[in-house]
Amino acid sequence: MEWALAVAAMLAVVVVVFVARPFLRDPTPVSDRLDELAPEARERLALAEERDRALAALKELEFDHRTGKVSDEDYRAQVGPLRRRAAEVLRALDSGEQAHHERVPDPGQRVP
Amino acid sequence: MAPLGRAALLLAFGLVLYALVAGSYAAWKRRRRLALSAQNALLAAFPVTLVAVVVLVVALGRRDMTFVYVWQHTSHKLPLGYALSAFWGGQEGSLLLWLLVLTGYAGLAVWLNRRSRELVAWTVPVFGLVGVFFAFMLCFVSSPFNVQPPRADGNGMVPSLQNPYMLAHPPLLYLGYVGLTVPFAFAMGALLSGRTDERWIVATRRWTLAAWTFLGVGQLIGAHWAYVEIGWGGYYAWDPVENAALMPWLAATAFLHSVMIQEKRGMLKVWNMILVALAFNLSLFGTFLTRSGVIDSIHSFSKSSIGGWFLAFLVLMVVLSAALIRWRLPLLRTKTKLESLVSREATFLYNNLLLVALCLTILWGVLYPILSDAVRGETRSVSKPYYDFFLHTFGLPLLVLMGIGPLVAWRRASLRSLGKTFVIPFAVAVVSGVVLLALGFGSSWPGLLTYTFSAFVAASIVLEFVRGRAAAGGIVRLISRNRRRYGGYVVHAAVVLLAIGIAGSSAYQTQREQILRPGQSIEAAGYTFTYTGLNGVKGSDYAGYRALLAVSGHGERFRLDPGQNNYFIEGPANEASIYHDPRSIGDVFTTAAIAGKHTKNIDLKVFVKPLVNLIWVAGFVFVLGALIAMWPDAVEQRRLAARYAAGAAPAGI
Amino acid sequence: MIALSVAAALAIFVVYTALAGNGVADLTPSTLAGHTGDVSLVGTVVGKPHGNSYSAGMRFLLKDVRSKAATRVPVVYRGTVPDQFKTGADLVVEGTLRNGVFVAKRGSMITKCPDHYAPAKSSKT
Repeated sequence: MEWALAVAAMLAVVVVVFVARPFLRDPTPVSDRLDELAPEARERLALAEERDRALAALKELEFDHRTGKVSDEDYRAQVGPLRRRAAEVLRALDSGEQAHHERVPDPGQRVP
Repeated sequence: MAPLGRAALLLAFGLVLYALVAGSYAAWKRRRRLALSAQNALLAAFPVTLVAVVVLVVALGRRDMTFVYVWQHTSHKLPLGYALSAFWGGQEGSLLLWLLVLTGYAGLAVWLNRRSRELVAWTVPVFGLVGVFFAFMLCFVSSPFNVQPPRADGNGMVPSLQNPYMLAHPPLLYLGYVGLTVPFAFAMGALLSGRTDERWIVATRRWTLAAWTFLGVGQLIGAHWAYVEIGWGGYYAWDPVENAALMPWLAATAFLHSVMIQEKRGMLKVWNMILVALAFNLSLFGTFLTRSGVIDSIHSFSKSSIGGWFLAFLVLMVVLSAALIRWRLPLLRTKTKLESLVSREATFLYNNLLLVALCLTILWGVLYPILSDAVRGETRSVSKPYYDFFLHTFGLPLLVLMGIGPLVAWRRASLRSLGKTFVIPFAVAVVSGVVLLALGFGSSWPGLLTYTFSAFVAASIVLEFVRGRAAAGGIVRLISRNRRRYGGYVVHAAVVLLAIGIAGSSAYQTQREQILRPGQSIEAAGYTFTYTGLNGVKGSDYAGYRALLAVSGHGERFRLDPGQNNYFIEGPANEASIYHDPRSIGDVFTTAAIAGKHTKNIDLKVFVKPLVNLIWVAGFVFVLGALIAMWPDAVEQRRLAARYAAGAAPAGI
Repeated sequence: MIALSVAAALAIFVVYTALAGNGVADLTPSTLAGHTGDVSLVGTVVGKPHGNSYSAGMRFLLKDVRSKAATRVPVVYRGTVPDQFKTGADLVVEGTLRNGVFVAKRGSMITKCPDHYAPAKSSKT
């Protein structure tokens, strides 16, 4: 049974090293702070999701209209507000981005 | 060998405990390196658990009778495949399987999403918490590595479990049950980190679909096994053990739908949190209904040692989920309201209500014996009519909704457009209904309604494909650009097949039982069964008999041979004989038992079950639809990656 | 709106179970005495069974599962006997108590699951 114990011991050592790795690799880090989204980044994320939602809704409205699920008048009634909403969100995103870039110029970051 | 297994489990316990404690502290105090360390611990838990699994599997393969577990569940004569499958056959082994799948899934999910550091930092301790429970049980309460002085031979495996379906059924179910932990952990992680965006949904979407698919297929395989092996003539008995898997599946189905509403309209965030917690907790509850004496019902006479622990853990998880949701309620509330009661959102909502209602009625039925015992001091149980009533009450409207939903637009649908899109499916349904009525299917109104509604849904699905193909320019383009929607339609088609199969084989089934002398005949549903004689059969570990039947009817002739196998160690087992009838896509199902001692008379039972094979066909269609819905879409992945670039990309599989 | 509908659904089945006669009582040999009408009897087989379930009926005794209670109830059963039936097996039968003998409904015997996750092996549909 010695070999079994040896295997167990080796396993334990490997595992402990793996768990300790973040500390071993970086004993004196510049910052140990866990990234988190700043409030403005959270807002932009929410806007991005809103934008995607509005664009997807438009796409789906088009598709439903083409397949006959949505009548012409329903389509006309809904497409306007949806387009306006999407434009609104895109504008908000753009201005937010501009503000962000002015505050924190970061040539490496490309936000789509 | 056993000490190695025990050591591995202890190590695994240490790892998940560290993941829980260190992970929570790191997320709370925002310590990057500690959070990474906790993540590594969670990742390492899988290979360590795998070592324990290998130890057990090797012991099973070698029939090492010094392992109590091996002795309890195998024997030397047992074929290797089944001996290995005893891994999940007993309580300790199945706990180990849970831990293995949990650490595997958790590790993979966390690693794929490792760049979403904030979310993952809180998800790791949630996985850790669930892992701690199972590892604790395995180390200190119910270990598969208990040893004993070696014995000559083991107890063997119950013959009805020596069946290829039983090789697949438990692992598939576990891949499903445990899989529901992933969306749960990410959801709770999102709540803990105070994030209200949808990254957790995007990250876990395919996990949820996959788990749901495994759970569905696992149940179908289980039903098929019960049908051919146990041989009472049916495939589902509303047994707590069966309901155990159905309930989380229903909750997960509701969740899959309502998550779409959150995605499209940003609504129902609270409801989705409740549903994912419900699905996970039902999954825990389900595993335990099956394995322990949590429900001391007719169907599990022995209370096992782990029931109490399980219940405590389940209560803990329910309380924690509820508390977390309650705490973050203000963050989750949105201003978006339902615009119209006639919209796709609304039909999804009705669908959700029906699914959850059905799920809760089943839960009530399962808990009833305990509750009545506590309240009246007398154990009472509900029976088939109870379940049938609610299956009809909730299931039939659900069936109709499956046909209505796709035809209705998001936000609001004017009654005029509804009228236009509904006309054809509605007409198909009415015509089918009238024809069926004329053909005599009115003998069972649930059956008739099921067929009629199925026609409605089928017509609406076909229309979707036809209209969509025209708009997209080809079926392949249509499906590949709208994978989730059209995959979903294929799944709905599977449900329609399932409904038709169930209705045909229950509402329109013919059943006869009679004691026959050799030479005697019996008639059922246009078939004549003549009992011609008894044959003895012998195998390596059993001896038995078969009653030979010559069957004719509906222009067909065939032979059946129901009987019994008597296993030397394990005892008698019923062997049903089934003829798959292409004419009715159904079965002619027979069982026979010798009616007494020293006689050649048999007690013959005959079931003619039209359309029952649609149920199994539905399983394949179901998997196909799920695969289409899950298929990765490079364009969508890039878009999502870009969206979350600020923090990190979610990498749902 | 959601809450209302859920409440309505809850109400339906609570009402149903209340009206539907609260299911079938599961009794043990020691609690059986005095109950008339259709009940489910749960117990362990003691002693040797006699007779043929396909002709005049199989007779056996049931005692409480896992309990030291002394009550023994004689049962007479007709119909298919499930595979797991033998002395010492746990089972359920439906039927009525008549003159001190439990007359089981034909084919209603269910024996204990052969393993934890198999549904009950039943001889009835």
